[in-house]
Amino acid sequence: MGPLIPNGIIPHEWDSIIAILIGIVFGFVLEASGFSSSRKLAGVFYGYDFAVLKVFFTAALVALIGMFYMDYLGYVDISQMYVHPTYLWGAIIGGVIMGAGFVTGGFCPGTSLCAVAIGKIDAIVYVIGIMIGIFIFSELFFLLQPLYEGSFLGNITLVDSLGVNPYWFIFIFTIIAIISFVISDIIRKRNKKIFY
Amino acid sequence: MVKKKVAKVLAFRYMVLAGILIILAGGLVLLPKYEKHEGIKPEQLLSNVISPERYITTDYLADKLISQDPSYLLIDVRDEESYTTYSIPNAINIPLAKLLDEDSEMYLNQDQFNIVLFSNDNFSADQAWILCNRLDYKNLHVLKGGVNMWYNTIINPIKPTEDMPAEAFELFTFRKAASMYFGVAYPEQFKATVVKKVIPKKVITVKKKKKAPAEGGC
Repeated sequence: MGPLIPNGIIPHEWDSIIAILIGIVFGFVLEASGFSSSRKLAGVFYGYDFAVLKVFFTAALVALIGMFYMDYLGYVDISQMYVHPTYLWGAIIGGVIMGAGFVTGGFCPGTSLCAVAIGKIDAIVYVIGIMIGIFIFSELFFLLQPLYEGSFLGNITLVDSLGVNPYWFIFIFTIIAIISFVISDIIRKRNKKIFY
Repeated sequence: MVKKKVAKVLAFRYMVLAGILIILAGGLVLLPKYEKHEGIKPEQLLSNVISPERYITTDYLADKLISQDPSYLLIDVRDEESYTTYSIPNAINIPLAKLLDEDSEMYLNQDQFNIVLFSNDNFSADQAWILCNRLDYKNLHVLKGGVNMWYNTIINPIKPTEDMPAEAFELFTFRKAASMYFGVAYPEQFKATVVKKVIPKKVITVKKKKKAPAEGGC
């Protein structure tokens, strides 16, 4: 049956409308769970708040387990799902830059827009910074192009590259997630409580 | 009192959620695995099997070949030896054993051409037809009767007896004309060909003479 759009159950013309609706819900949930506060987001690096780690890890797990159950029951064909292409070095260097920006600015791109929506000045500065970064990247694209398009590994997943059984991989991944939650809780309790 | 009980349960809420995640993930590992169907559903295959579009006759194919219809792609699923011995003109050879190879896929999995599968009779072509249909390849047909039928109807048509209906005679004239197109010579047109055949023979003899001195030189 699914995925709904590639199989023509929902026409392609609805793409943008669905994207807007999902975006609104996503933004609402981000804001409602306090993700528009740079202090809360940066807490994961200083060890006083691990909400970011927990929320995104749990979201990934719920989606992953849910998808594979739906695949098992025949509602969704997992082989038809879009897998983002991997450009190895581009992803590593981009990840480092993004991480550095996350620590110093206290936002990731999605949450920064969320914080702009509720009028945070630091977020507005942050978004202007993003725009400047995009401008520099676009202007220097001819220099960065080999990095951007190099070391292309195709649309691979961890299951493909490690060659493991996906069901076992999910199980082990779940256990790793829960262990990381427990460890993060221990670290948080050791740290001095910070009110923000 | 109730509030205290609720608070006691809620104290373990993260443990419970973590437990649910582990149970669900473990469930995926423990669930019995089954082979998934690739390609079209059995009902669809069945409806394709009984569809009259499945077979095309040799007369229809001959008509399409003579009118040089470019939309027909002929695929001979017999082995290579039979293919080189005799095949329908312009056919491609994809032996049944190599049907699912990557090289064959680009011929079979497309929607530009009408594919006509044939073998000596229907049998191997039908097998190929089922396999390809199962993979949801489009526009597949089987030549009814295969090469044998082709030979008996188009290449060597049987002359109808005089008590047969007029359509049989019309069909015979069509088949006879088709066979001429595909290179069969009849006694009626023999005179014209005699003259032409003599000329190339002379050319061949000249060539032989040229070869002889070259051998001597060595």
